[in-house]
Amino acid sequence: MPYRSSRWAIALACTAALAASAACGSSGSSGGTTADGKIELTVATFNEFGYEDLLPEYEKAHPNVKVVARKTGKADDHHQNLFTKIAAGSGLSDIEAVEEGYLPQVLSKADKFNNLLEIGPADVKPDRWLAWKSESATKNGSFIGYGTDIGPLAMCYRKDLFEAAGLPSDPAGVKAIFATWDSYFAAGEQFKAKTGDKAWFDSAAQVFNAMVNQEKVGYYDASDKLVVDTNPDLKSDWDKVTAAVAKGQSAKLVAFSNEWNTGFKNAAFATKTCPSWMLGVVEKQAGPENAGKWAVTDAFPDGGGNWGGSFLTVPKQSKHPKEAAELAAWLTAPEQQIKAFTAKGTFPSQVQALTSPALLDQTSAYFGDTKVGALFAEQAKKVPAAQPKGPASGTIQDKVFNSALQAVEQGTSVDDAWKQAVEGAQKAAK
Amino acid sequence: MTALTTAPPVRRPGRSKRLKASTLLERPNFVVYGILIAFILGSAFPFYWSFLVASYDANVFTGDVPLIPGGNFLVNANRVVDSIPFWKALGNSVVVSGTVTLSVVLFSSLAGFAFAKLRFRGSKGLMLFVIATLAVPTQLGVIPLFMAMAEFGWSGTLGAVIAPNLVTAFGVFWMRQYIVDAVPNELIEAARMDGCSLLRTFWHVCLPAVRPAAAMLGVFTFMQSWNDFLWPLIVLNPEDPTIQVALEKLQSGYYVDYSLVLAGTTMATVPVLLVFLVLGRQIVAGIMQGAVKG
Amino acid sequence: MTADLTEVPSGRGVEPRPPVRREPPEEHPKLPLRDRLTRLDVKFTPYLFIAPFFVLFAVIGLFPLLYTGYVSLFDWELGGDEHPFVGLGNYTALLADDQFWNALFNTVSIFVLSSVPQMITAVLLAALLNTALRARTAWRMGVLLPYVASLVALAIIFSNLFGKQYGLINTFLEGVGLSPVDWQGNWFASHVAIATMVNWRWTGYNALIVLAAMQAIPREVHEAALVDGAGAVRRFVSITLPLLRPTIIFVVITSTIGGLQIFTEPKLFDPAGGSGGGFSHQYQTVVLYLYQAGFQDFDLGYASAMAWILFLVVLVIAAANFFLTRRIASTGESE
Repeated sequence: MPYRSSRWAIALACTAALAASAACGSSGSSGGTTADGKIELTVATFNEFGYEDLLPEYEKAHPNVKVVARKTGKADDHHQNLFTKIAAGSGLSDIEAVEEGYLPQVLSKADKFNNLLEIGPADVKPDRWLAWKSESATKNGSFIGYGTDIGPLAMCYRKDLFEAAGLPSDPAGVKAIFATWDSYFAAGEQFKAKTGDKAWFDSAAQVFNAMVNQEKVGYYDASDKLVVDTNPDLKSDWDKVTAAVAKGQSAKLVAFSNEWNTGFKNAAFATKTCPSWMLGVVEKQAGPENAGKWAVTDAFPDGGGNWGGSFLTVPKQSKHPKEAAELAAWLTAPEQQIKAFTAKGTFPSQVQALTSPALLDQTSAYFGDTKVGALFAEQAKKVPAAQPKGPASGTIQDKVFNSALQAVEQGTSVDDAWKQAVEGAQKAAK
Repeated sequence: MTALTTAPPVRRPGRSKRLKASTLLERPNFVVYGILIAFILGSAFPFYWSFLVASYDANVFTGDVPLIPGGNFLVNANRVVDSIPFWKALGNSVVVSGTVTLSVVLFSSLAGFAFAKLRFRGSKGLMLFVIATLAVPTQLGVIPLFMAMAEFGWSGTLGAVIAPNLVTAFGVFWMRQYIVDAVPNELIEAARMDGCSLLRTFWHVCLPAVRPAAAMLGVFTFMQSWNDFLWPLIVLNPEDPTIQVALEKLQSGYYVDYSLVLAGTTMATVPVLLVFLVLGRQIVAGIMQGAVKG
Repeated sequence: MTADLTEVPSGRGVEPRPPVRREPPEEHPKLPLRDRLTRLDVKFTPYLFIAPFFVLFAVIGLFPLLYTGYVSLFDWELGGDEHPFVGLGNYTALLADDQFWNALFNTVSIFVLSSVPQMITAVLLAALLNTALRARTAWRMGVLLPYVASLVALAIIFSNLFGKQYGLINTFLEGVGLSPVDWQGNWFASHVAIATMVNWRWTGYNALIVLAAMQAIPREVHEAALVDGAGAVRRFVSITLPLLRPTIIFVVITSTIGGLQIFTEPKLFDPAGGSGGGFSHQYQTVVLYLYQAGFQDFDLGYASAMAWILFLVVLVIAAANFFLTRRIASTGESE
C-alpha cells in the first residue's frame, strides 16, 4: 500500500515534529511547588550578584525550600525579559533583581510588586540600609526593593598625566582639585593648557550625570512633574559641562564603547568619575602595562554620589511572596552582603556591613595598594538624600541628555542640543 | 505568461553531444580564484579574529590583536565549559535547530510544490498572504507570543522555542519560486499518468529535483534557528537554555572578558560548520548528479 | 499581484530534463486507482500540502498579529492597568511625529545604499561560484561565514573600522593626507557604514540563493548554446539571467522586506548599543524606533501602530520593487 504508507510517513513526520516539541514540555512549569512538596523559589539576577554559594546555604537552613537561580549575563537582557513578562502578566521569578538605572521604570509599575513593608519579615526595616538607598526604592509608601549593592563615587585620575601638567598627584594633594565642580573644571583648564592633546575627562555625560544626581531636584520634582525646562540647577550643570567641552576638556568617548576602551589604553584622559565597581574596569581597560599610573582618592566634587547597584524585588506574580521576601531579606542581610562582596566584589549597602573588617581591609594593588574598601565605605556615607525620580528618569538621563551632550561633543551648537534634550525629555515623559 | 518566452531556443534533437560537466561549467581562471579568495578572506576574518582573541588571555586588547594565535584557546574553552552549562545548552540547541530545520524543509517543500504546480481554488490569494506575513515586524510579537505560550503551559520548555518556527513564510516562498522552474511539468504529468497520487508525485518527482534548494533552505534555517537569541531568552529558563542564551551569561561583569566570550562563540559555531559541510555537499551533489545522469 | 508569483506556468519551453528520479528502496506494486479517489486527491491534497503553514500560522502567528492590531487602537502602556481607547489616535500621532519620518527616511536611505550593490554583487558572486571550482563546497559555504560570526565580535570589529578617533579607516585616511570621516555623527557617513555592515553580512547569503537557482538551469540549455557557439558572458546574460527570474524576484522581495525591517546592524553600530540610532537619531531606523517606543518608553500602543504602518510601507515598496524587477528582467526579450 504505497499510497497509504507514504502519506502515513508524512503524517508521522508531522506528528513527530509536534511531539518533539510537546515531549520536551514537562520540565519547567513554575507552579511554585516541587514534586516532593517543597516550596520552589526562583531568583532572577544578572551580572554578578555573588549568590552562587549563598543559595545552597539557604536551602540547607530551610529544608522545605528549593531555590532555583535564574541568571542572565547583561543587565539589558535581564530587564527586557522583566518588562516583557510584566506586560504579559506571567512568567516572572519569585525574586527579580532590578538595577538602579531601571528602578524608576519599575517604580512606575510599583503596583506590580509587593510592598516589602507588608510582606517582609517584621524586623527588616528600610533603616538597615543606607538611607538614600532605601528611599530610592520607595514610592507612595510602598517599599518594593531590598538593596543589594551600591556604587559610591570617588575620583580616579592618572598620576603621570597630572605630573606632566604640573598638578599635584598624591591623594592628599589632589583633594583641592576635586573639592567642587568649579575647582574641578578650573584644574581641567590648567591641565589643558599644559598638555594640549590630552583631555581632562572621558565624556561629558559621565560628569553631567554625577552632577545632576547631586542636586536636590533633577529631571522631576517631588510631585512627579517633569521640570527639565524650569530647573535652574539642571541648566547650570549643563552650562558648566558644555563650557568645559568647548574648552576641549572632554575626550568625547562614549562610556563603555570600543573607542572608550581604546582611550584608556592611549591615556586619552586624566580623570574619571569612579564608582566602586569602576576600579575593575579601569584595571582591565588600561591593562597591566599601565599599572601604578592610575590612582583613586576619597574626594568627589561637591560631596558624593552613587552610580549603580541593585535591588531585590518580589513581584505580585509570585505564588510565595512571603517566603520570597524572607529569602530576599536574608540575601541582602549584612553577613550575606559581605560574603557576596568577598566572592564578587559587590559593594554592600547595609549600614552594618560597611563596618566589616573584610570590607575595610580591602586594598587594590593596581591602584597603588590603596585601601579601597575603607575609601568607598567613606564615600558611601557622603551620598546625598535620594532625588525624586519619575518614570522616565532613567531614559531621560541615559538616552536623552547623554545623547544631547554627545551631540555637543560632536559639534552641535549648545543651544540646539539643549533644545533637543528638553524636547526629547518631554517626549520620553509623555 | 512571459516566463514562457524567456527560454532560449529549443535544442534540436540529433545535434546533441555528450559533454562533460567540466566543459559545461566554466573552468575558472586565476582571476576568478583571486576574487573569490578576497571574498572569502573578508567573510572569514571576523571568524578568525574571534579565534585569535579566544587564544589569548583575559588581558588581550581587542583593539590590536596579534594575527598569530596564542596558546590559550583550550584553557579558555575549559573556562567556558566550567562557567556555563555548555553541553546541555548545545544539546538543546541541536534538538531545537534540528527539529525546526527538518520541519521547515519538509513543510515548505510540500506547500511550495502545491503553490508552484497544483491548481486549486484560492491559491493565488493564499500565496500572496504567505508573502505578506513576511512583512510583519516581529519585535513586538514576543509579548503576545509569551502570553500564548504561558497559556499553553509551554513556557520554559524547548517546545516553546520550536513551535513558532516549525514553518516559515520565507521557506514556502523560496521553495515555490524554485520549484516553478526546476521541476518540469511534463515530469509531473507523466507521474500522474502512471497513476501516482499527488503525494507520491511530490515524494518521487518533486523532492529529488529540489534537493539543492531544500539543502540550501536547511542551511539557512539551521543558522537562523541556531543564532536566535531574544525569544529563547524570554521563554526558556536560564538554567535550561539554548546555546546563545547560555553564551550571553559569559558577558556578565562590568567588563567583558572577550577571550572567554569569543572562545564560547567559536566553540558554538562548530555544529553550524558541520551542518554546512553535510548540507553543503547536498547542494553540490544536486548538480553533480544531474550532470552525471543527465 | 501578477502571474509570476501566483500562477502555475504550463511549461518551461524546453524539453524536460530526464527525470533525476531516485528509485524507491523497495518495489511497490501498482495500485489501481479509481477516478473518484483521484478526483478527491486533486481537489483536496493541495490544501493538505499547504495546511501545515496555515494551521501553525493560525495557532501561533495570528494571535500576535491581532494582538498588536488591537493594542494599536489604545493608549496602551506596557504593563499598565488601564488602557483608554484612542481609536486611530496613535496612527495620526505617528504621522505627525518628526522622529518617525526621520526614521523612515533613514530606513529607506540605508536600504537603498545596501540593497543595490548587494543584489549586483550577489548575482556576480553566484556566477563565479557556479564555475567548475576545486573544493566547491568549501567556497560556497565560505561566503556564508559572515552570518555565523558572533555579533559581539562584529560590534568590536566594525567599531575598530569605523571609529571616529581610533578607527582603522580614519587612521588610513589621515595617513594619506585626507580628512577623517565622522562615521557616527554625519548622517550620510553613518548610513554608508551601516550599509557596509549589511552588505558584508548578507551578500553571500543572497549569492547562495541565486546560485541554487543557477544550478537548476538544465544542462541542455547550456549545451545547446555552447554548441551554437555562444561565449560565457553571452550565455550568462541571455540564458542564465532570464531563467533566474523567479529567484531574482524572490531575492528582491525578501531583501526588500528584510532591508526595511533593519534592526540588528544599526543597533550594533551605536557605540552604547542603544536603540536611539545615534545621538540625534541620525541612523535610527523604524524598527529601532518601534523597539524604543515599546520597550524603553513603554508605549506599546504607539509601537504597535508603528508596526502596522511599517507593515503597509513594506508591502507597498515590496510590490513596487516586484513590478520594477519584472520589467527589468523582461527587457530585451520578445514579449
